Amino acid sequence: MVSINYSAREVCCKIVYYGPGLSGKTTNLQYVHSKVPGNSRGDLISLATEADRTLYFDFLPINIGTINGFAAKFQLYTVPGQVYYNATRKLVLRGVDGVVFVADSQTDKMDENIESLANLEDNLQEYGYDLENLPMVIQYNKRDLPNILSLEQLNKQLNQKGRPYFEASATVGNGVFDTLKLIIKIVLDKAKSAGNQKAASSFSPTKAEPPAQVSSPEQASYSTPPVVHQPQAVEAVGISQPVIQDKNMPVEQPVEVNEPVMAGAQYEKAKAASYRPYPGSENSEVVETKITPRGIQSGSTPLTGETGIEQKIITSEDNSDPINRSGKSPLMAPSIRSRSDSKKKKRGFFKRLFGIK
Amino acid sequence: MADDSLILYEEEITAIDALISKMLKSSEAKCGLLVDKDGHLITRQGFTHSLDTTALAALLAGTFEATKEIARLVGEPEFSVLFHQGKKDHIHMSIVGERSILVVIFDDRTTIGMVRLYAKETAAELALLFADISKNNNKRTQSSVTDDFASKAQDKLDDIFQD
Repeated sequence: MVSINYSAREVCCKIVYYGPGLSGKTTNLQYVHSKVPGNSRGDLISLATEADRTLYFDFLPINIGTINGFAAKFQLYTVPGQVYYNATRKLVLRGVDGVVFVADSQTDKMDENIESLANLEDNLQEYGYDLENLPMVIQYNKRDLPNILSLEQLNKQLNQKGRPYFEASATVGNGVFDTLKLIIKIVLDKAKSAGNQKAASSFSPTKAEPPAQVSSPEQASYSTPPVVHQPQAVEAVGISQPVIQDKNMPVEQPVEVNEPVMAGAQYEKAKAASYRPYPGSENSEVVETKITPRGIQSGSTPLTGETGIEQKIITSEDNSDPINRSGKSPLMAPSIRSRSDSKKKKRGFFKRLFGIK
Repeated sequence: MADDSLILYEEEITAIDALISKMLKSSEAKCGLLVDKDGHLITRQGFTHSLDTTALAALLAGTFEATKEIARLVGEPEFSVLFHQGKKDHIHMSIVGERSILVVIFDDRTTIGMVRLYAKETAAELALLFADISKNNNKRTQSSVTDDFASKAQDKLDDIFQD
């Protein structure tokens, strides 16, 4: 399922490396990660056990740059090869666009290869994939080891459908890029043919042929002259990010107190309960509530809630306050004055409370 | 499901972004991502510049799928909300329609309750939007993957993949 995002202008494909345990799937990704320039790839994420066996999956994103205005991105996944991890293996296959089946060429591993291939087909069928049409490349890995089967034997057992295959030795990198290039080609060809099929569905009722039915690396390989696109690719990688960054800028402003969408007292209450970062700021608020009524209303109106008591005291002390007695509004520097006043008043209150003369 | 491509046009992404932005403002969360269940990032809003959102999307989708399997084992079809609590940052994930996950990352400036409330609201709105999109999706053609797309991609790959 090739994901096309017209807003971010990107085409995203998911490619899964499948195969039996210790066949070299993770090694494939590690090699790609080590050889692809940093601006064209992300980090290799490995969810592995302490013994470096894949537990869930490995993940490597590759961004090959902009093609026809669209950033082409590929996400490479591996699955855990061990038999008992089938549940997680199946999860990784969800939404796959192309599969690389990494087979172990060693003589004693053939049974595991066959079992894993059957398991792959089962899992794909459960997801409703059409096995004939799903892009798939087989990689016969570990060709550098001594005790290996011949290509004929491997093909006979593992490649009865005549899929394209490559010999590889992932630790040194032989065949790794060839496999990856071919699977990407087949995936994109299929996406194209699917698009054409959709566009002209009335004219082509037959199923689109799988683009590559080649059975030898010579036929499978494609020889396009290397065109120097590197600067463009680098630029494209640079561009694709800021586009999104810019879009995010307005949102990334520090969030001040926002206008409540859910209007009403409920929201305010929730907000007050959840958003009180500094205890000190609460005090200053309280002080203000004490001053303002006194200054403006000369303590004539009773206050509600917690400040009621304070207000009472303030009014009782008001008569001795030279500032308020004059009848003028004491708006001038109220905070300093009021702080000392309130301390005094509090002392007075406690003195009276405990009967201290 | 296998051939069900997801094609999103700009106006749809704009509408999705607007909904996520609104949620971020209301809930005072740090950032929001919309992730396809297959692990593709659909869109992102908020403070995402310091995050590797591609990897995050893949891992979060993986987490969600794994949890779905756990749900199945205990007899639930799936868990629709997941919450990861950290020391500073927390992640809230909720399912949107059939195939997407709304991810909200937030810190102690807000609360899980607020995030949950607004994420639920937004997920419902997004689900409606996606229902419309999938209705129209069949009529669309994959115009970006044109004839020369694959061959141009091969040229680029030749440049990048050098042993």
